[in-house]
Amino acid sequence: MYTTYDVFDEMVHLRDLVDRFFTEAPGLRRNVEYPYVNLKENNDEVIITSLLPGVKADSLNIQLIDNSLVLEGEKKSDVQDKPYIRKERVFGRFQKAVRLPYRVDGDKIEAVLKDGILTVKLAKAEEARPKKIEIR
Amino acid sequence: MANEVKKMRKDAYNCEECVIVPPADIYETAEEFVIKADMPGIRREDLDITLEKNQLDIYGRVDQALTNEENLKYGEYRLHNYHRTFVVGDGIDREKINATLDNGVLTLTLPKSEKLKPRRIEIKAEA
Repeated sequence: MYTTYDVFDEMVHLRDLVDRFFTEAPGLRRNVEYPYVNLKENNDEVIITSLLPGVKADSLNIQLIDNSLVLEGEKKSDVQDKPYIRKERVFGRFQKAVRLPYRVDGDKIEAVLKDGILTVKLAKAEEARPKKIEIR
Repeated sequence: MANEVKKMRKDAYNCEECVIVPPADIYETAEEFVIKADMPGIRREDLDITLEKNQLDIYGRVDQALTNEENLKYGEYRLHNYHRTFVVGDGIDREKINATLDNGVLTLTLPKSEKLKPRRIEIKAEA
C-alpha cells in the first residue's frame, strides 16, 4: 500500500492537535492504566467507581491488599470471525491497584457492577473517621 | 496569556455540550450488520436511536448521579452524554433494526434488505 501526501490531512492533524490541547485535562488519561477510576470520599466511606463496559461480574476480581484496592479481571473479547468494517474497542486482561487515602474496614466493602460501571463502597476504619472534639 | 489559555482549556473541558464518542466495532455477516459500542453508565431509557434518511444517530444521556463530582478526591475519567452518528446505506431493512444493552455495551443489529443478501447464482447449462 502506498499513500500520497495530502495537505488536507496535515490540516486535519493540526486541528486535532489543537482540539486535544483544549479538551484534554492535563494528567488525565495520560499514562493512566486501564480501567479508569474515580475516587470520592465522604465522612464515613470511600467510594471508588470505575468504567468497565462489557466486563461481567464473574470475570472481575476485587481484593483489598494492605491499603490498596486491587481490581483484576478480563474484558472478554466478543470479536467474531467476520469481516470488520470498524474495530475500535479493546479487550484483554487488566490489573490495577488503587491506593486508598484512608484505612478501611475490610469487613464492610460493598461492590456493585451495573451498566458497565463498578462502584465499590469502602467504610472507613474507625480511627480514620472524623471525630468531633469537645472544647471544655 | 498563560492564565487565559488555562482558563480556555478549563472552559472547554467543563463544557456542558461535550459528548463522548463511544468506541465502536462494526462487522458484517451474510444477513446483517452489527454495531457494538461501549457506553458505560447507559441504561435502556437513556438511549435515543434514530434513523433518519441514511443517518443512524445514537444518543445516550448520562444520568446526573454519574456526572456529579461532589466530594471527588481523585479522578481519571469524566462522563458526558454519548453521541455518535453512522451513515448507513440503502440496503438496510429499517423495520427490523434491533438494539440490546448488556453491561454498558450497546449491540445494534441492522438486517440487510432482501436485495442485498447474498444469492447463489445458478449457472445454466448451455442447451
